[in-house]
Amino acid sequence: MKPTILINGAPVTPLRDADHAPIADGLHSVLANGTSYEVRVNGSTITVNGHAFETEIQDPRRWSRRSASHGSQGRASINSPMPGKVVRILVELHQEVEAGQGIVVVEAMKMQNELKSPKPGKVVEIRVSENDGVAAGAVLVIIQ
Amino acid sequence: MPNTSRYNRTRVFQKVLVANRGEIALRVIRTLREMGITSVAVYSDADRASLHVRKADEAAHLGPSPSSESYLRIDKIIAAAQRHGAQAIHPGYGFLSENADFAQACEDAGIVFIGPSARSIRLMGSKTGARQVAKDGGAPIVPGTEQGLTSPDEALEFARSAGFPVMLKAVAGGGGKGMRRVDREEDLRSLFESASSEAARSFGDGRVYVEKLIENARHIEIQVFGDHHGNMVHLGERECSVQRRHQKVIEESPSPLAARIPGLRERMGEAAIKAARAAGYFNAGTVEFLADNDGNFYFLEMNTRLQVEHPVTEMVTGLDLVRMQLDVAAGGVLPIRQEDVVLRGAAIECRIYAEDPANNFFPSPGRISQLAEPSGPGVRLDSGVFEGWTVPMEYDPMLAKLITWAGNREHAIDRMVRALGEYHVGGIRANLALFPMILNSPGFRAGDLDTGFLDRFLKSGIDFHPSPPDGHAEIAVLVCGAAILGCSLLSAGNNPTSQRVSGTSSNWLTIGRAEALR
Repeated sequence: MKPTILINGAPVTPLRDADHAPIADGLHSVLANGTSYEVRVNGSTITVNGHAFETEIQDPRRWSRRSASHGSQGRASINSPMPGKVVRILVELHQEVEAGQGIVVVEAMKMQNELKSPKPGKVVEIRVSENDGVAAGAVLVIIQ
Repeated sequence: MPNTSRYNRTRVFQKVLVANRGEIALRVIRTLREMGITSVAVYSDADRASLHVRKADEAAHLGPSPSSESYLRIDKIIAAAQRHGAQAIHPGYGFLSENADFAQACEDAGIVFIGPSARSIRLMGSKTGARQVAKDGGAPIVPGTEQGLTSPDEALEFARSAGFPVMLKAVAGGGGKGMRRVDREEDLRSLFESASSEAARSFGDGRVYVEKLIENARHIEIQVFGDHHGNMVHLGERECSVQRRHQKVIEESPSPLAARIPGLRERMGEAAIKAARAAGYFNAGTVEFLADNDGNFYFLEMNTRLQVEHPVTEMVTGLDLVRMQLDVAAGGVLPIRQEDVVLRGAAIECRIYAEDPANNFFPSPGRISQLAEPSGPGVRLDSGVFEGWTVPMEYDPMLAKLITWAGNREHAIDRMVRALGEYHVGGIRANLALFPMILNSPGFRAGDLDTGFLDRFLKSGIDFHPSPPDGHAEIAVLVCGAAILGCSLLSAGNNPTSQRVSGTSSNWLTIGRAEALR
């Protein structure tokens, strides 16, 4: 089975004729149809002349660059977007919340950031306490 | 010793401690190096590998990462200066730079604080106190009450005579806390109560005063510079109207307004000098004004330190403000008179932050895995980061300041857009994508700015993910395929360096297309 590359969620046919020079780790130069492109690869993000693309490689055997699942339908987790400290939890367990309602306040770099619920639902799990340090991506609260 | 320069130094420092971190610490260290003065950096646990430590001649550890245990510890900083034998301390901006107790502690320890006196810092530290000083000195202030009010009736009386809208402000205020805009008489009482109780909660001081609200105001500030011999000059203005949540985002000199209204710079400069003189000021300082489009201006506050945005003034005046600070602090006579100050061309500065403008400006600390920095004609980058550096979560998210200079404003903006295109920060989010959109907007290009400009611009529904031009996705898929194959070759045990020969077109891409992507 051949891997398929999705660019921003859709398959794209690669160019037939291009001159490629790897420059350094994560940095490539491509000449195509007389045009010069500077390309950077950073995890699943590929930036071409400053325009960012999200890539996804579908190959069950070897590659899973990005897991597209955002949890099962009807379940959403509030994740910390950065390392920081939980300063306030604005909801209680089993509380009904609306989309856009503030759930947790995380402080990093002297700024307090309110994380909001992406959907209406009920708070089914609170995994942190106030004053906890959290890593980037840590699951804080789950809404169902 | 013969005096070969116009500086008349009575004392020269051999060693100076820099009580700061990040780009400003490095910027001060660079001038110290140019002057042949030994630099002493200070650092917290998080900053052991930081650029300012590596570029300094000497370094002193302060303590754990939180500022309260390191960069804000007066006792530890003074002790480090004494241990290293530094004769003076440069505070940079932020941290202890406007702390009168720190200036006093330096003086008590026989160390020169590179800045104004503790007394000047105290005088300008309180909002109402500074207003009073400026008013006494003869600088125009926003009409309002100088003292805290005892009842909403006093505010009402003022608002009736000055006209609505008015602004209620906490006497002890800062950061927008305890501030309320009042548009209608019937709202005044309830807003007064809420401003006062918020002020009491935030600052332990519920006193509130009232000012006329200047609508569509620009933020224009004047750089002043004084020596210990009674000389003082102003170095023109900076326009800092592009702000988000009262934080400056883009600054420039000259101000488009000052360029439009003849004599405005001179009038503002004189007013700034009056305000600074009234506080017995010496060294570098900035007097902030609100200005309207007719050229009326009002004293806002004075910052008793070197400003973040000082490079735009350096670019248009050709001066090194840190060098001047050191000379003046050493007792030297100001090397320039007012008539020597000539503004040439235009300079603009963008504050590069570790935050994601496409995601509600969330801070984004972490490791910088890739870094490409701009250069070329008219570009200055005052940066505190490097590839491989982990941006700590404990401090301000500013990574660098990008400054461009050119013969005129239009050209300086074009240069900034070009330089931003060369700038790449990988591994963490940075706000780089925000700037070209602002810089290329018709309002910014026309110089039609006020402090609400950026909020309106951000609300106007700008798209941080515009569709890329044709052909770019095809390039992305091609490189992605190459990266896959490159990785699989590496894992098969091939020599990685042979795959990454610089400048040669590789054929593994072709193989990648054939093998992996069909």
